[in-house]
Amino acid sequence: MQDTASNNRRRLTYAGEPRVLPGYEHVKRYWDPTRNQYAAKILPGEYYVTVENEAITTVLGSCISACVRDPVFGVGGMNHFMLPQSGGRATDSWNDSLVSASARYGNVAMEHLITDIQKFGGVRENLEVKITGGGKVLAIMSDVGRRNIQFVREYIRTEGLRLLAEDVGDVYPRKVLYDPRTGRVQVKKLRTLHNDTIYRREEQYMERLVRPPQRAAQEVFGGDIELF
Amino acid sequence: MANILAADDSASMRQMVAFALGNAGHTVVSATDGAEAFERAKEQKFDLVLTDVNMPLMDGITLTRELRTLPAYRFVPILILTTEAGPERKQEGKAAGATGWIVKPFNPDQLIAVVKKVLG
Repeated sequence: MQDTASNNRRRLTYAGEPRVLPGYEHVKRYWDPTRNQYAAKILPGEYYVTVENEAITTVLGSCISACVRDPVFGVGGMNHFMLPQSGGRATDSWNDSLVSASARYGNVAMEHLITDIQKFGGVRENLEVKITGGGKVLAIMSDVGRRNIQFVREYIRTEGLRLLAEDVGDVYPRKVLYDPRTGRVQVKKLRTLHNDTIYRREEQYMERLVRPPQRAAQEVFGGDIELF
Repeated sequence: MANILAADDSASMRQMVAFALGNAGHTVVSATDGAEAFERAKEQKFDLVLTDVNMPLMDGITLTRELRTLPAYRFVPILILTTEAGPERKQEGKAAGATGWIVKPFNPDQLIAVVKKVLG
């Protein structure tokens, strides 16, 4: 009896595992028994798109997540990014212009997500956006969150996308859970933290953006160029 | 300086491309998808075409292929500017007749240099 029950449980868990879209095999997914749903967990600098019944989750400090979906064709996703701060490789002669290193990076962080949603069946005109994050979580990150919020609002305005809701700013980190099927974004403000993992992850991400290794720098601030 | 046709469905990307190339003295006409770009290209002869890949109505690879069927565009440089970095897509672009492939984000100095180079 016990064997059958555990077999069933296993089947319930694994038989329903949602199909992962090509390009997202590296993203860690887990079964969330309280929600009765799979969830994909993304880290700073990552994004995830799905056409299945699954949630996307992350923890944000001063970073931003844009939750984007096409409710008509049933495809949506979420990213997790911040703008690089000036300094190191994140500075060039185009600083403070429309094509500054940070604008270029932020732009592509949004475009990766939107392009993939389109590639997997979404239509730009249908897109609904919700944004969250950009907290002032550490004194040294004082205006980092604010710059991220300004950037993403401006991007959404320029692109003519529909911003349905935002929960941004404030001083707390956030645990975010997005369900692209319903469009629901659950945000839990973390008033107490058991450890400093999220700060360390964000600081490492920030460091990586300012001083990326040579090879990665090209991907961050100027992609490969090939003449045929 | 050159007359450049730039196709991208992202408004902010159109602004960035026009800003960077405009700074180098070029004139940039923007189109929001491949179909619109194809119409513009037929109305006016451009010195260079820069196109995104994933766009509604007509994608950038199809635009490249279609442009190459027009006698006026047989030898005009066509550069693809996209977030796509996969070798298969690049191969498709090359087969369609593209001159080069640039992965976003673009570095403005490099973009200006490549444009100068392919214009000869």
